[in-house]
Amino acid sequence: MDTNREDFGIAIRSAFLSRGTQQRFSLFVLVIISIIFLLFEKIETKPLNYFRSIIKDTIYRGAFLASLPTDGINKITINLAKHIEIYKEYDKLRVENNLLKKNISQTDFFRMENEQLRKLIDEDIMSDDNYFNSRVILDKESPYLKSFVVNNGSNKKIKNGMTVLDDEKNFIGRIVDVNFFSSRVLLISDLNSKIPVIVEPSGTHAILSGHGNKNASLEYFTKNHKIKDGDKVYTSGKEGIFASGIPIGETKLINEKIEVLFFSDLDQISFVSINLGELNLNK
Amino acid sequence: MPTSFKQTKFRFLQLIPLLLLFYISLNGISVIDLKFFSINVHYILVYFWVLRQPRSLGYGFIFLSGIISDVVFGLPLGTSPLSLLVIAGVAAYVRTVTVRISLINDWISFIPALLIGNFVYFFALYFSDYSIDYFFLFKNSIFTFIFYPILWGAFTILLNLTKN
Repeated sequence: MDTNREDFGIAIRSAFLSRGTQQRFSLFVLVIISIIFLLFEKIETKPLNYFRSIIKDTIYRGAFLASLPTDGINKITINLAKHIEIYKEYDKLRVENNLLKKNISQTDFFRMENEQLRKLIDEDIMSDDNYFNSRVILDKESPYLKSFVVNNGSNKKIKNGMTVLDDEKNFIGRIVDVNFFSSRVLLISDLNSKIPVIVEPSGTHAILSGHGNKNASLEYFTKNHKIKDGDKVYTSGKEGIFASGIPIGETKLINEKIEVLFFSDLDQISFVSINLGELNLNK
Repeated sequence: MPTSFKQTKFRFLQLIPLLLLFYISLNGISVIDLKFFSINVHYILVYFWVLRQPRSLGYGFIFLSGIISDVVFGLPLGTSPLSLLVIAGVAAYVRTVTVRISLINDWISFIPALLIGNFVYFFALYFSDYSIDYFFLFKNSIFTFIFYPILWGAFTILLNLTKN
């Protein structure tokens, strides 16, 4: 029995403490370094943030370069598929375009009226000047985190918590990690994403929770709500971080749960607008 | 001339595991996530090569590839290196105590490696206040175990080529 225990101890020591042939570090030392890295993740100090930014920026650029061939092949495949679909879409778009032309004058009137009413209730009006456009440089489908990396960071005054919109100004997520030349955007579909929203036309307030898949669902709303299929979901701005009234998606009732189908296709985003939030007209 | 070509080819073949390790980390494909199953290629790669030919993958390189994976996936720095090094540790232990090499031996000893590795992963994420999809982690462990023999076969072919 004692011999067995001794053998076990010797094997463990040999595996973790001794350096093998051509090994510069022992496993034990590297495990300790990993734990130190993990503990330092919780500490926010300037030198550590600089260190993290340098590591992340370097790896993002490296990953961007390393994934160029794979991304190139993917793009070719997607483009080929798109070309096949293009004729079908053309007819559909022509009909849609005619309809939109009819509606455009009506929308302008509503926008003007809306701005005037918002001024009356003293609410923020977002200006186009607030936005800063960025390119997505790394969009790796992580099973644990739905996010991507954009090519601007603290060098363009981007900060944690800033709103991120797609090119049609639909809400897609927020900034969660800022480096010197890059930032990470946490998408609304992520498991960690919880956004206060308002559902129109019923005016019901709720929390939009991501589940790590394509849609999200509404939580914490009143029991006697009047939400129906196809209702529009906007940011409510209740948490005081995001501006209110940014479109997110529309509701779909599935098995007594209220799912939200996003207006934006989160898998196909190449450019984003980040709301820098400093040039609000009314504040 | 032929000798130098042979040597270059031999060296390149020996470098393949290392290149593969960094390729999957940089491209964010260390966890292949498909609709019905997901496989952690990183775990299998590290376990196999540390078990069968430890000089191909240095522990320092495993640590570095884990750091790259964490940055690419947006996880707290140190999560993947810790779990990968634990996997490497179990593989090194199994190498010390095993005499006969066979697929069944490797496959069965991969179970504790996978369990301890994923436990460390879960533990690190839990204490970093990250929400974890438990079902995904479970599914990933099961399919990584199931797919081990397939990658074992491919890596064994590569291993034999480097030996020949």
